[in-house]
Amino acid sequence: MKSAKATASKKRLTDLLDPKFMSRLDSLDILSRKILQGKLQGERRSKRRGQSVEFADHRPYVAGDDLRFVDWNIYGRLDQLFLKLYLEEQDLTVHILADVSASMSMGEPSKERFIKKLAAALGYVSLVNNNRVTISLFADGLRGQLANMRGRNYLHNMADVLLTAGCDGLSSFESACRQVVAGRIGTGVMIVLSDFLFKEGYDAGLRRLIGRQYDLYVIQVLAAQELEPDLAGELKLIDIEDTDAAEVTISAALSKYYKKNVAAYCNELKNFCTQRGAVYALANAADSVESLVLNYLRRIRLLR
Amino acid sequence: MQWLTPLTALYAAAVAVPLLLLLYFLKLKRRQVVVSSTLLWKRAVQDLQVNAPFQRLRRNILLLLQLLALLAILLCLAGPILSLTARAGRRYVILIDRSASMNAMEGGTSRLEEAKKQAKIFVESLRNKTFFSLAASSDQTMVIAFDTHAKVMCNFTSDKPKLDGAIDAITPSDGDSYLAEAVVVAQAFAQSPGVEADFQSAEEPAHLVLFSDGRIGDLDQVVVASDEMVFHCIGQSAENVALTAMQAKRSYENPEQVDVFATVANYGASPVTCDVQLSVNADVRALKSVTIPAKSAENSSEDSVPGKVAVSFTLDQPDAGVVEVRHLHSDPLGSDDAAWAVLPPPKRLSVLLVTDENPVLESALKACSLERLDLMSGSQFDANDRSDFSIEQSYDIIILDNHLPARLPKCRYLVFGPPPAGIDVSVSQQLKNQVMVDWRPRHAVLKYVNLANLFAAKSLRMDLPRDAEVLAEFNESPALALLRRKGSVFLLAGFDVLESNWPFEPSFVLFCYNAIHFLGGQVGRHEQTSLNVGEPIVVEGVTPETEARIDGPYFSDTPVMSSSAGSIHFPGTSRTGVYNLRIPEKPPRLFGVNLLDQNESGIEPRRQIVLAGQAVEAEQQAVSRANMPLWPFLVGLALMLACVEWLVYNLKVKI
Repeated sequence: MKSAKATASKKRLTDLLDPKFMSRLDSLDILSRKILQGKLQGERRSKRRGQSVEFADHRPYVAGDDLRFVDWNIYGRLDQLFLKLYLEEQDLTVHILADVSASMSMGEPSKERFIKKLAAALGYVSLVNNNRVTISLFADGLRGQLANMRGRNYLHNMADVLLTAGCDGLSSFESACRQVVAGRIGTGVMIVLSDFLFKEGYDAGLRRLIGRQYDLYVIQVLAAQELEPDLAGELKLIDIEDTDAAEVTISAALSKYYKKNVAAYCNELKNFCTQRGAVYALANAADSVESLVLNYLRRIRLLR
Repeated sequence: MQWLTPLTALYAAAVAVPLLLLLYFLKLKRRQVVVSSTLLWKRAVQDLQVNAPFQRLRRNILLLLQLLALLAILLCLAGPILSLTARAGRRYVILIDRSASMNAMEGGTSRLEEAKKQAKIFVESLRNKTFFSLAASSDQTMVIAFDTHAKVMCNFTSDKPKLDGAIDAITPSDGDSYLAEAVVVAQAFAQSPGVEADFQSAEEPAHLVLFSDGRIGDLDQVVVASDEMVFHCIGQSAENVALTAMQAKRSYENPEQVDVFATVANYGASPVTCDVQLSVNADVRALKSVTIPAKSAENSSEDSVPGKVAVSFTLDQPDAGVVEVRHLHSDPLGSDDAAWAVLPPPKRLSVLLVTDENPVLESALKACSLERLDLMSGSQFDANDRSDFSIEQSYDIIILDNHLPARLPKCRYLVFGPPPAGIDVSVSQQLKNQVMVDWRPRHAVLKYVNLANLFAAKSLRMDLPRDAEVLAEFNESPALALLRRKGSVFLLAGFDVLESNWPFEPSFVLFCYNAIHFLGGQVGRHEQTSLNVGEPIVVEGVTPETEARIDGPYFSDTPVMSSSAGSIHFPGTSRTGVYNLRIPEKPPRLFGVNLLDQNESGIEPRRQIVLAGQAVEAEQQAVSRANMPLWPFLVGLALMLACVEWLVYNLKVKI
């Protein structure tokens, strides 16, 4: 029974990622630009002193210290007791925050499919490399969270969460970020996947993430129809989330202004991120996730 | 440029412009499209609005174009014209001749139709009051149609549809044309302000616009100021063959034989050979071919004398009937092609003489070739119950000689001596030694009667009612009088014949003959059944307040009431033809109404009419459209604007 469930889950992971792609992802790992503090001993250098082979510093001996770490060579020369400190190697926390609000279901191909595939690929890379992975889905607040996964065993859980989540509801980025931060998942790489088309703005939410020792990656996913709209004439545009209506006469001029606006909006988000040490990437939902992961994310050094 | 109907456009604009704006405010039905976020679209729209130069104009350029197109259509409704004959507001009187000669057909339409058409064009070219300038005033026009009499079709107004309706309402007639009455009427109306003459001074002279062929009978009586009248001459043709005289009479010796005389006139420039047809009760009885000479060339100007030929027929017609003489030459004017005479049946009279002893009267009556002459004494007459006397019609005439009857059955009476009671005639005094001072020799009763030597030793002074017709007068009293009462006709002689020298005069026998025939209706009816156009049909001796019905050539079954005096007057004989009067309980009576008018039959239009010492030349050109309408150009502009609007919309929508 259990094995049947496992195979079913695996099957579902392959719904998102094809095996060929997964085999290529096996060779990748998440890269953090910062040396961050993990929770458990792992494969990454951390700022914390601990047990490893890499020397970090000396400090005077105090009573109660482990005598095995006393530097006897210094004691021989200086007749003083010093303790050798080593850098501790800890695991890396990878936090993937994916948008599942109603707007993500738009586009042909849909942004939802793209974002889930991308989240799955990043999660796969992280889990395979024994990082601690937390996947959070948000719309008007956190919708679902799979926290502190580690190891390949969690692959099917991750796929399950991603595939079962539907896109609906309003988006409230700020409250989602607040909940994420309050969840004390721990510092690490934070990857935010969304279209960032928030009426209330993205600044407040991103500010909450930036100040928390996260190595923040912002990946904006927009549908091809959002980048290059194919609408014309007298239209009543209905916002899928809040059903706000905008009556527009889409003319050549308006279309031009829309495209300019999209570019400006993306650029604004990019500047916002860059100025605050976050990395920004724009993805077109019509492009393949594979090339994005294997080429672009490696180029911006999210993966190696 | 002027506007013919600015108010129409204003009313239409008051409705249409707010409607268009309302339609613009009511959002158009847009296709609904679901998008992931309206955020960027709203920003783009804002950007577009902010960055667009003349953004309001650009935003509403479609509205502007539509407004312009609508404006163009509205301006069309205002009826813009390029007035080629600009002038101040004036008053016009349109005089339209509708006499017989205007019925001449030329090119498929009659002259009257042509005159009406030109008059309507004239009305159309009149200037309307412009809405925005109070100082300007519109042209005011009055329409008068005239033939024998003038008929006001429409008082002064600037309401063009009303004027058009008044012109349309003019019907043709076969009467003579007399302009003087129309001009007098027009000048009288011109003294008073018109219906809408708020600012119009009544002193301003009205301009007379005459549409006629110039064949007007009383031009010398028309007085107008110089330049007051504009004359539009209608018609070209002069060719016409007409019957100008016609009479049908029974021969006196042989009453069953009828002599018909007619005169056919040719107004054309070349001789005409045509057939003249005689028919009785629509059965053709005779046909004669005649050659009518051309009009006399000696005076080829206006009043040339037509060539004439007299035609006579003799036929046997013992019964009553309608004799029609018709020439079979096709010509423009149809109403003078035929003439009708109504033949009464040859009737001899039955006369009752109520007298005690009067051999003079008796012998005079015996000379009158009567059907029957009965003698009755006064007591016998009174003894008979003759209440149904009139129904039996056993006597046509009753002669009362010195007898006052107790009861008067309805009949025709010749009364010698005291007049009967109950007819409003009273005798106030006995007179002596009366001589005749005056009489009416033209009256049918006194035709060929010379009363110069009449002397009455005794006479009665008759006080006559006002409607009595005095035929002869003694020096102190009426001698002979005609009076109609209760359907009866009384010819009163206020003296005893035997008390006068009249029996020794030849005039006595003639008087008896005339009186018998006049009273018997023989002479009177014959005169009345042949009428000229416009003469009323008059029938006496009808039951008072009876409804009779009359059929004419252009109408039928028209009711006509008899008066309280027992007579019927029907004035509507404006067209030639046979009129049939049907009186209840009496045989139908026929009347022939004929044109028989040399002036009207001469249809040659006169280019110059000479009024009282003043010649008026006809306008050189027919009335033509004086105003150039601009609305087609505006419709074109509206169409073009609609196309531009479509183009702009498509350019805007195109991505």
